[in-house]
Amino acid sequence: MITDRSNVSPSYTITCRMNHEAAALERLCQVVRIRGFRIEKMAVETTNDFLDIALTVQGTRHVTMLQSQLEKLHTVAEVILTTPAMMPAATRSA
Amino acid sequence: MNGAQHILEAFHRHNIQTVFGYPGGCIMPLYDALVDDVRVEHVLCRHEQGCALAADGYARASGKLGVCIATSGPGATNLITGVANAHRDSIPMLVITGQVPSALIGTDAFQETDVLGMTLGIVKHSYLVESADELPGILDSAMQLAQSGRPGPVWIDIPKDVLLAEITTSPFTTPAPPQAECPDLASAIALLRASRKPLLYSGGGISLAHAEDSFREFAECSELPAVVTLKGIGNPGKYSAHNLGMLGMHGSRAANQAVDECDLLLVIGARLDDRATGRMDGFAPNARLVHIDADSAEINKLRRAELAVRGDLNAILGELTRALREAPLAINDWQKQCQNLRTTGGFQAADNEEPLAPITGPAFIRQLSRVAPDDTIIACDVGQHQMWVAQHYQFDHPRHHLTSGGLGTMGFGLPAAIGAQFADRQSTVLNVTGDGSFMMNAQELATIRRYNLPVKLIVMDNQCLGMVRQQQELFYNNRESQINLDDNPDFVAMARAFEIPALKIDRTDQVRRGIETILAYNGPMLLHVAIAREENVWPIVKPGGSNKEMINETRRCAADKKERVA
Repeated sequence: MITDRSNVSPSYTITCRMNHEAAALERLCQVVRIRGFRIEKMAVETTNDFLDIALTVQGTRHVTMLQSQLEKLHTVAEVILTTPAMMPAATRSA
Repeated sequence: MNGAQHILEAFHRHNIQTVFGYPGGCIMPLYDALVDDVRVEHVLCRHEQGCALAADGYARASGKLGVCIATSGPGATNLITGVANAHRDSIPMLVITGQVPSALIGTDAFQETDVLGMTLGIVKHSYLVESADELPGILDSAMQLAQSGRPGPVWIDIPKDVLLAEITTSPFTTPAPPQAECPDLASAIALLRASRKPLLYSGGGISLAHAEDSFREFAECSELPAVVTLKGIGNPGKYSAHNLGMLGMHGSRAANQAVDECDLLLVIGARLDDRATGRMDGFAPNARLVHIDADSAEINKLRRAELAVRGDLNAILGELTRALREAPLAINDWQKQCQNLRTTGGFQAADNEEPLAPITGPAFIRQLSRVAPDDTIIACDVGQHQMWVAQHYQFDHPRHHLTSGGLGTMGFGLPAAIGAQFADRQSTVLNVTGDGSFMMNAQELATIRRYNLPVKLIVMDNQCLGMVRQQQELFYNNRESQINLDDNPDFVAMARAFEIPALKIDRTDQVRRGIETILAYNGPMLLHVAIAREENVWPIVKPGGSNKEMINETRRCAADKKERVA
């Protein structure tokens, strides 16, 4: 697992827009936990059919990995990492 | 048309002809609708786990969507292991469960469980249908989602009242899949050309993308030395001159050494699983990594890639093939080096020439590989026999090798073989299992009998949990703990109780005849193969260790064996 090499667990701020479906927040929180992060702060607003979630998470693993796992959730429309994080090598995609 | 009938209509529209299920209270409206529908063949298994694993085997063998159905509560929870198995191996699956009526959800009603909540981590996506009008759209979306991108199981939990409700919504129209585009591969090709020791590393993603032919063409055209993961076995084909076999914990020395020495690792459709890579800091230490995958979340997950390419594997492999056909790679020295590795470090096992000698696992599998027809599908269970099959059976296509890779589910093989036989009625389907795994889903012998499936069952019986025993021997000071199965039932009598003929062999001179007998039999048959308790799988890398630290056959078995080089 690629981890951040600093001694303290850094915090990151993520904003996420999800479809407002059953278990949407559970899904999000479960991914955060399984991928090795702790939720420090969480705020949720409902906008039409969406949930807008602001998350502050803490963990030693690379946060872009969490970002890509959240983006895989079918009901997630957008994930924005607002705290700058070092990006791994660029991905060329179709 | 009610909700239940609408589900059957959706099956028909999506060309789903075979489903695996088990009825019960809340799913009864769907079973009632099945009475009047002759288009869908429902296979009644004897346990919901069998249903899910059979649907998994069906999907693996056919490349189509596997479908399983169960009722609420225990029906749903019994599905979970099978669905988790599909999730870990990215198998396209649709799971349909009944749920208590909407008004009773959350009241601790009879056979109510929070299926949506308890399965979040083992599905690609899941739905609780909250109103009847949602059902048509959810069904179509679920079937499309399960098979698109990186496939996986999609679970629909449907309250009983929704199954009974009249639905007026017009059917959802599935959009045509987008045209696959090929990303720019110039950098990947440049890295390949700059490499003196490039190595091709492929996994289960090749089959998931239906890219077997494209991959084989690329492997043949490029003549790259190649290694495969457990799920990639069969990718280059058994006649590929450059295939070094499976890498990893029980991989060949040739494959692991090539990974150690290569300067460029071209990873296609694989996720760098820990069983394949060993300790990551010792994995491919000299190599730049080019990672090609359909799932962007796998890129840089465990090892940073020098270059990552995400997209349709068929398109990418086609483009790579064209580029290398125009200007082949100049890697003759490396190819020769890998050929030498293949000669000296491939999987080898001496055939025992003493007719009365006990049967050894590797020698049995090698004989099976020589005798079985080319189109044979083998559904393995989990344990030593699984690794012997991976090491010693020569597969010519990845869909011929069904194995529980990610989850490692004992009990997978028998129901998976049932699913595979429904997927392909003409091919020979074998379940190669161990005595531990066989007992985990032995109730499905009744399913084989009911449908008179000509599945052949090979139970490799060492009267213990062999893989656990092996690791206790090697890594726990030989302190055996709870692995003894010497009170196994008489497997021949057990099969016969299900009206499945069976025979037992325990000597080397009986192996060929035994295999030929079951293969020739026109119907299901079980071969009980008694093997030595102390047999180990070699080589082995200690869990958590580096692949460079492979342990070869040593210790007490060494004196008994001839020339077995890993």
